[in-house]
Amino acid sequence: MTSETLVLTALLPLSAGLLVLQTNPYRALVVRGILGSVAALVYALLGAADVALTEALVGTLLAVILYAVAVRSSLVVRLGVVTADLEQRGKELQTLMTELRRVLGQQHLLVEWVTYAEPADLAQGLAQQEVHVICTCSEPMGIHTTTPILRLYEILQREWTIPMTVDYQPLVAATGGH
Amino acid sequence: MLTVVLWGMIGAFLIPIYQMTRRGDIWETMLALSSVATKSSLIMLLVAVMRDDWMMGLVGVITLAVGNAGFMLLAHLLRRMAQTGR
Repeated sequence: MTSETLVLTALLPLSAGLLVLQTNPYRALVVRGILGSVAALVYALLGAADVALTEALVGTLLAVILYAVAVRSSLVVRLGVVTADLEQRGKELQTLMTELRRVLGQQHLLVEWVTYAEPADLAQGLAQQEVHVICTCSEPMGIHTTTPILRLYEILQREWTIPMTVDYQPLVAATGGH
Repeated sequence: MLTVVLWGMIGAFLIPIYQMTRRGDIWETMLALSSVATKSSLIMLLVAVMRDDWMMGLVGVITLAVGNAGFMLLAHLLRRMAQTGR
């Protein structure tokens, strides 16, 4: 093995180690792309042209695309609100949303709105696990936030800075994980 | 002569790898990805010429042409996430 090949081969475990050390899932995807390129180069240099082509096309391209879709669709917290509340208390809810994005952004989670027409639909949406968090504005002051997910409740309890109440309400008939 | 060029390319290849180890903006890591993808294809082409191995040259050309398509999807995803205000 020539010294050039040796130097390039040493980059493969280096980039793999860097990939394992990433904490942000999106950054890990990018580093996975780099690892795929380095791997394809090393395979080609060692004489396995077919393996290199497969790594470049399937290993890098398909794996990155599939994982991008998986990460984007799974690392999301859906926040349910009633449409009337959103119209009347829009500013307060927007403050809440900004705060939620800041707190959950540290855990690399996205936050999305889901609007419901009636409060009964909202409660049903939470019971059927369509949303992870709901916000209700029953009293004139303050917004009440409820979540059935214990881990989310713990994060919100620990990180919350604006004066709003957070409640943990376990699902009565839980039929699976979150 | 070509060995000197290859060593120069290996030196240039180490720059984006070093950039990847630093914790900066995620777009800097994306830059490192595009840089590594192109440079690895070019090193493949150079070694193919050195060894007169056209099978490897074909792999280099195909990687250079279509190996970066996942990059587009990732960039689009990151841009959308930046817009939603993470």
